[in-house]
Amino acid sequence: MPSALDRLRPEPLPLCQLPAGSSGRVSALTGEAAFCQRVREMGFGERAFVTKVGGRGPFICVVNGCRLALSHDAAAAILVEPTGLKAGS
Amino acid sequence: MSTAATPRTAPVYALVGNPNCGKSTLFNALTGLKQKVGNYPGVTVERKVGTAYTQHGQPLTLIDLPGAYSLAARSPDEAVTRDVLLGRRADTPMPDRIVCIADATNLERNLYLVHQILDLGRPVVLVLNMMDLAAQAGLQIRAARLEHELGIPVIPCEAANNKGLIELKLALSRHDLPLPRHAWDVPAALAPAVSELQASLIAADAKAPLVARAEALLLLTDPDPLRVTGSTPLSANTTRILESWKTRWTADATDWSGTLVSARYDAIGKLVAQIVVQPEGAEDGHAARASRSTLELSDKIDAVATHPVWGWVIFAAIMATMFFSIFTLAGIPMGWIEALMAAVSGLVDHVIPQGAFHSLVIDGAIAGVEGVIIFLPQILILFLFIGFLESTGYMARAAFIMDRVMSKVGLNGKSFIPLLSSYACAIPGVMAARTIEEPKDRLVTILVAPFMSCSARLPVYLLLIAALVSANEVPVGTQVGLMLLMYALGTGGAFFFAWLFKKTLLRGAPPLMIMELPPYRLPRFRDVLIQMWERGFIFVKRAGTVILALSIVLWFLANYPKPPEGAAAAPNQPIVEAVSPGPDAPRAEPAAAPSAVTAEDPLAYSLAGRAGRLLEPLIAPLGFDWRIGIGLIQSFAAREVFNSSMSVIFSVQESDDEAATRAQLRDAIRAAERPDGSKLFTPLVCLNLMIFYVFAMQCISTLAVVKRETGGWKWALFQLVYMTGTAWLVCFVVYQAGRALGF
Repeated sequence: MPSALDRLRPEPLPLCQLPAGSSGRVSALTGEAAFCQRVREMGFGERAFVTKVGGRGPFICVVNGCRLALSHDAAAAILVEPTGLKAGS
Repeated sequence: MSTAATPRTAPVYALVGNPNCGKSTLFNALTGLKQKVGNYPGVTVERKVGTAYTQHGQPLTLIDLPGAYSLAARSPDEAVTRDVLLGRRADTPMPDRIVCIADATNLERNLYLVHQILDLGRPVVLVLNMMDLAAQAGLQIRAARLEHELGIPVIPCEAANNKGLIELKLALSRHDLPLPRHAWDVPAALAPAVSELQASLIAADAKAPLVARAEALLLLTDPDPLRVTGSTPLSANTTRILESWKTRWTADATDWSGTLVSARYDAIGKLVAQIVVQPEGAEDGHAARASRSTLELSDKIDAVATHPVWGWVIFAAIMATMFFSIFTLAGIPMGWIEALMAAVSGLVDHVIPQGAFHSLVIDGAIAGVEGVIIFLPQILILFLFIGFLESTGYMARAAFIMDRVMSKVGLNGKSFIPLLSSYACAIPGVMAARTIEEPKDRLVTILVAPFMSCSARLPVYLLLIAALVSANEVPVGTQVGLMLLMYALGTGGAFFFAWLFKKTLLRGAPPLMIMELPPYRLPRFRDVLIQMWERGFIFVKRAGTVILALSIVLWFLANYPKPPEGAAAAPNQPIVEAVSPGPDAPRAEPAAAPSAVTAEDPLAYSLAGRAGRLLEPLIAPLGFDWRIGIGLIQSFAAREVFNSSMSVIFSVQESDDEAATRAQLRDAIRAAERPDGSKLFTPLVCLNLMIFYVFAMQCISTLAVVKRETGGWKWALFQLVYMTGTAWLVCFVVYQAGRALGF
């Protein structure tokens, strides 16, 4: 059973690699402690649901209905599990 | 708590909220124009205090604190918010009560700060702002339920439409504001540490119990305790306890900061689940894919505004419009100011008898203040544009677009706004750097901001361009081309030094930028105008104090000591009256004995003149002589004083016809000669002088602000030396190379 679940569970990838228009759930933050603290405090911590709207680094993402701009390095420090494409894209 | 209800004196409320939650709009709606804007001593963070009146006409004092995401502050303005709320600032007493403003469309994140503030156990009123936008997004918010859960008044509000203000004022005028019924479980792994730290903060650091608990929680939120304590260092006992817990957690791989923040969000998540009814189709009950309609509109605009090509086109168009307005439209009100100051001078001329005091008031005080006040229209137009760009939400996009460029030199998009402001004046630019979180990035931004060609350099450029081109009317193309060259040089210098400092002196990892992009909104004219007025007022106040004092000092330097009796033609008239741009022979004799010069020109005999001569060996390799040296020294009050210095030195009589005065000055400069009869202002010297003004740090007001912002003279002096050194070096190379090439 765990193996079946594991197979269903998508590989985490850095937010910068998430295709534009798709969504994911934050699984881990890998940046330095101060960055992680602020990202979590802005509601972008583990388990947050994020949709990448676009941009080619810096990127625009939507978290909790709030649009955030992230530099490429910041997006690389946030690992997400893709949860599928945004409706309509 | 004892201060919570003091009916006889006006209660003091602090307004707190996330950036972009509509806090300023609410503050303006409550206080109108009854606001006092200043700075918190020691930092350049704006301090806004206003008076509001209850429905019964009782006054309330409101302090508008800078927007913050968390009490675990990361930038100087967030630190001010934290320090005022924790009662750490001697200049601002701990507020009796707190008004928290939360954006109803993004309640979960906004409640994070509210949650931290409730920890303080003080009376709180919670305002749910932008309820209209939340409703548009299909969100239903049960304010009564939230009030019940938190035990504090919760007021739904639309500050932008003046809705909910009466209810808010009624809540604010209550004498018996309840204390929050706020309980949340600190994670078990951290709870003993919180208790121990709280006990130590009470015993060893003399903190009140609830403040101690809030501080203990902040110490466990921010990985760096120094950032939390700020100017109030921890006692040895508390430090020891904190260190021992951190060592223990590091050993068993506990991420204390992450655990604490997540625990808060879990508690908030449970609360939000009870009070926010999501629109149908919202993804798996996750809070708020909110503001669907505004988001979709913002999506559409952003698709163009942040597009790799169209984004730049729009950005360039907006910048071009802004600079065009600053440099052309401002001319009209600048004419009015000139006329007003001329009228004041005329009045003073009649009232005060001729003499030293007459000259001090007219040539020192009035001329000096005019030299600065004249830029008020440009600065107001700049702030009008910045206000509109901020209130529409575009400014964050501009920073987003510029991030790619800024990251090439090791800064991020947030440094863009300070640099942009510096094109009008470096002072608001340096002040705008306060929102940059990383201290090194903030310092680099402050250090390079004055390279951006400010409006005080403009008159100098215009004079020198006119002198440089031989025709009577400078072709527009040449003028614009040279002007653009100067702006490009300054901007290039700023980027080069930012890159250099980030590589050497202030080395740091490339900052990881995370920045909120507020939804696009129609601008709020009232808020924009209030902000413009406030900034303009600060500027005028400075002109009336610091600049006035400096102008008087400079007047003394330029007028004293007087030449010995009988030596000068007119002792009480330092400004020589002749208008003779022709062969002005003996005045241009720098090598002659001082007496020969003083007989001709009292200025040369004055301290400023002597300083110019003292400076001459240093600036001669740049093609400048002692007369230009005087202009350079006087430029320290304000750069455009150069023009009036040249008027005095080359004996141009000021007349009512401004264009005629300018043409006379230009002709006088063109005709000026060196002792050997060669022209002083050759095209090469004019160009070099402009380059000197691009790079040199010649503004005492900016240095004073930098000193205040960086907490000491060290960086201000460093800035003075490195910028002026760069100017000297570049000018030396240009002049020597130009001479070698036969110019």
